[in-house]
Amino acid sequence: MHPTEDRDSQEVDEMSDFGDHVDDAIFGQILEMDESEEERDFSEPLVFNFFQQALETFERMKEALDNSDLEGLSSLGHFLKGSSATLGFNKIRDSCQVIQQYGHKLTVDGTDELDEKVCLEKIADALKKVKVDTETLNKKMEIFFKREKGDEKEE
Amino acid sequence: MHQHSTEAKPAGPDVGFIFNLAPLSLLVITPAWRITRASARFLADWRVSADDCVGRSLLSFVESQLRPPRPSRIVQLTASIDDAISTREERTTIAINTKHGVSWKARVIPIFNGDELLSIVLEWHEGPPVHVDNDELSKPGFSTDEAFRILVQAVKDYAIFLLDTKGHVATWNTGAQMLKGYKRDDIIGKHFSIFYGKEDLDIGKPQMELEICMREGRIEDEGWRYRRDGSRFWANVVITAVYKDGVHVGFGKVTRDLTERKSAESRLIAAYEESEKLKSDFLANMSHEIRTPMHGMLSACTLLLDTELSARQRDIVNIMDESGKVLLQVINDILDYSKLASGNFTINSDIVGITSIVTSVVRSVQATLPPSVHFELFLAPELPRSVQGDPLRFRQILQNIVGNAAKFTDKGSIRVRAAVQSEDEISCTILTEVTDTGIGVPEEASANLFTPFTQFDATTTKQYKGTGLGLSIAKSLAELMGGRIGYRPNPERQGSIFWFTARFIKIKRLGQMQDWKRTPPVRQDSESPSADEIDALQTELKMVSAIKNLLVVEDNVINQKVILGLLRSIGLKNVDLASNGVEAVRMVRRKPAAYDIVLMDISMPVMDGNAATKEIRSAGILIPIVAMTAYALKGDRERCLEHGMNDYIPKPVNKNRLIKVLGKWLLRMTDYRKITEERFAEMRRPRPATVKVATPGLEAKQFLFEVANGLGAPSTEARQMTPPNEMPRHPPPPSPTSPLPAAEEVDSAAAAPGPSSPNPEFSLRLPSGKAAAAKMWETNHAANQPGKASDQNITSAEANQSASADAPNKQDNAPEETTQTGHSGQSVGMQHPQLSHRPLQHTEVNETDKSSPPVDAAETRAIPPQNKTRCEELISSEAGVAAADSNVEAKTAEPEG
Repeated sequence: MHPTEDRDSQEVDEMSDFGDHVDDAIFGQILEMDESEEERDFSEPLVFNFFQQALETFERMKEALDNSDLEGLSSLGHFLKGSSATLGFNKIRDSCQVIQQYGHKLTVDGTDELDEKVCLEKIADALKKVKVDTETLNKKMEIFFKREKGDEKEE
Repeated sequence: MHQHSTEAKPAGPDVGFIFNLAPLSLLVITPAWRITRASARFLADWRVSADDCVGRSLLSFVESQLRPPRPSRIVQLTASIDDAISTREERTTIAINTKHGVSWKARVIPIFNGDELLSIVLEWHEGPPVHVDNDELSKPGFSTDEAFRILVQAVKDYAIFLLDTKGHVATWNTGAQMLKGYKRDDIIGKHFSIFYGKEDLDIGKPQMELEICMREGRIEDEGWRYRRDGSRFWANVVITAVYKDGVHVGFGKVTRDLTERKSAESRLIAAYEESEKLKSDFLANMSHEIRTPMHGMLSACTLLLDTELSARQRDIVNIMDESGKVLLQVINDILDYSKLASGNFTINSDIVGITSIVTSVVRSVQATLPPSVHFELFLAPELPRSVQGDPLRFRQILQNIVGNAAKFTDKGSIRVRAAVQSEDEISCTILTEVTDTGIGVPEEASANLFTPFTQFDATTTKQYKGTGLGLSIAKSLAELMGGRIGYRPNPERQGSIFWFTARFIKIKRLGQMQDWKRTPPVRQDSESPSADEIDALQTELKMVSAIKNLLVVEDNVINQKVILGLLRSIGLKNVDLASNGVEAVRMVRRKPAAYDIVLMDISMPVMDGNAATKEIRSAGILIPIVAMTAYALKGDRERCLEHGMNDYIPKPVNKNRLIKVLGKWLLRMTDYRKITEERFAEMRRPRPATVKVATPGLEAKQFLFEVANGLGAPSTEARQMTPPNEMPRHPPPPSPTSPLPAAEEVDSAAAAPGPSSPNPEFSLRLPSGKAAAAKMWETNHAANQPGKASDQNITSAEANQSASADAPNKQDNAPEETTQTGHSGQSVGMQHPQLSHRPLQHTEVNETDKSSPPVDAAETRAIPPQNKTRCEELISSEAGVAAADSNVEAKTAEPEG
């Protein structure tokens, strides 16, 4: 009934390189919004805007971490969780969730973690991890979009 | 004759001697063209000995002497001799080249004795030295080389030219000049990559092509090529490696301009896509348009059957009912089939409980069977509990073949058997077999069982109804699910065995189960909307998109872009953005009737979505607000609704889900503004309870109560009966008795009614002086807490809502319910019986509300002091109102239970 649905499955194949970094269905939905698969002028800037946003957020997280500002960390975590979830970037989303939770002085399971030092440590770990994941994904995305275009040329 | 011979005899030896010594190059041949004599001069001229020629056939001798060998010369020689013989005249042949660089022409002298040809004398004369080329040109027509040269030169439609081994242009034809715009002198010696675009050059395409060409002998390519003036054309290019005597000397390149064809192609493709789209739109529309009235008809039939009917009437209605059902099935079959045929059918991924589906299908069919048919069900013990696949489609196939078995079996048994046919690590194939003792399938019909539109019962009586599509649909579905379908006769007795297989993904870990449960809230809906339902909704949304305005409240730019993108892809373009709650409240309040729906993020800086919603509600604006929450955890939804929102969408937003929610609020619900107007129309009619003391304030107050019930109550009826209302924009009509209001109060209280307000006379009038009003409010509030009371209603309605929220589809499946929205006024009471069952929640919410008593401006001013008592009465008699409306309630509540 709808051409998009067929396209979706194709795109999922193309995206298999992302592994558990990306939720194929959600990201596929983003790719579907491109008016042309050759140009990708919706998804491509969006994805790279996201990375920019992520980098800025990491900076602010670092600042908040230095000031032991748990509340600030929590809201920054929530903020980036929102956009990463929207794009289906699961690994980043999960780390942001960790930051948000410990910012609220909660463990990931939702039980209390009253020791602020532990919270800050956990957040620092999560921040380190999310930075690495973001960089990895950034590279994968660069390759993905380049390949999409490369394919175009060879045709 | 005799004369001749006698004369010749005595001269014999002399003549021979003379012949030999004559200074002439002479050959004498027999009528069979064998050489009998050659003069000494001939032997010397041709540098041959007598042995070389005498006794040989003339033609083979001449042929052996020809240089270069030209069969055509022999042919011409033969022709001349023949000519001489037949005319009895002497003839001169064309010049013939011999190996010594000399050409010879022969005088052919046929010698007859009467009619008898005695011999032929060839007298050879030296011709001009012959050069091969000149020789060729002297003839009419062209040599092959020349012809090709001219051909290539003259062809205008193809650029044909040679490249040297490095790719430099070596020749140029007219076609190349016309196609590429370069003159011969401009281009010779230039590298052919000059014709390529930057993109091709960047990837080294010209060089690549030559390499491939060297390897494979030839390469063909289609792509953009550039002319001298920079314009481009779509070219078909063939490059061929050119060898001379086994040595590579360059490349031949032929380029054609396909721009015309290319654009024709893309026009064709576009037309094709367009027609495909029209077709699928048509299908989606048809399915919706046909099924809806069919459902209406069938429901009416069912209702009619429930009434008192004579036996004859009952028969007739039964026929209507039955035919209607068959017709609906036929329509569904055809729609399914056309979708399958066009490849537009999608298989969903969900949890499939094989055993429960098989059991439920068997049970449903069993109910229709006569007692003479015995049902047997075998479920293999190794059947997995749940697998991943499309439960609906699996059920559809099974229903079809079990239904067939039931249809064609009058007595005996139907046996359904399900087992695992094969499995590997990630998937398993389930085999389901249905064996019946029915009429069976005649052998000649079995080949066409799965062909569309064929029924083996092609008799005129047509004992069995149907489109003949069922099995072909089942076949396509089974194939879509990675399986097969088949038939064989029942080996035990009369009857058939139909079987099908379907492949499912295994659910390995418990965790995977939980993932399923947690991540896709969409899939959680047991009856997630089917794809064509979504399509139909989307089409409808597109149609109204021009008149629908949306407000998206979202702080994260990425999410903003995505949601805008999603809305755009649905066709909704009139979208405003607010990036936090304060902005959203300001925008909504400034134009209270401008938006049709608000999509509200919850967690935002400055003011979050919950607070913003509260503010909007407390301004009396009842626009539908849909929360967008990340991680839809249990309780999130309830919390959103508690804060006065009407619905929620989990984040990340799924497009189908969004379409469904938008469809519900933009299409299925009566517009909140209209409801408000209707309410007021109702209100202005004389009504015993209110009219006596009809003052604007009172009406406003009462109105608020009704509104309160509708607020944040998206449950089945409540949402439709009392959709959001908008208080300040349509306040009660000014009563002639009411005093003039203070001007500035009007503004703030009415939250500036939009300029587009269709009822300009509706502007909120305040009772007497504002100080008095304020004071009165305080007392009023302290004594009765009307604000709280109304909030209480809100929350109680929410409680109901959350109770019924578990069955969200109920409402969506009943489109006719929307027609009830007209009775807005009366429906208010509907929520109350449920309310009384939940006293606990009731008080609980009350307590939380006490901590922050809602003091909203509109409400405050809406209560005129002199009506205080009436207000109290109204508040306390809310339950009474409900009781008074119990008739309505009893009727409408019924389907709910």
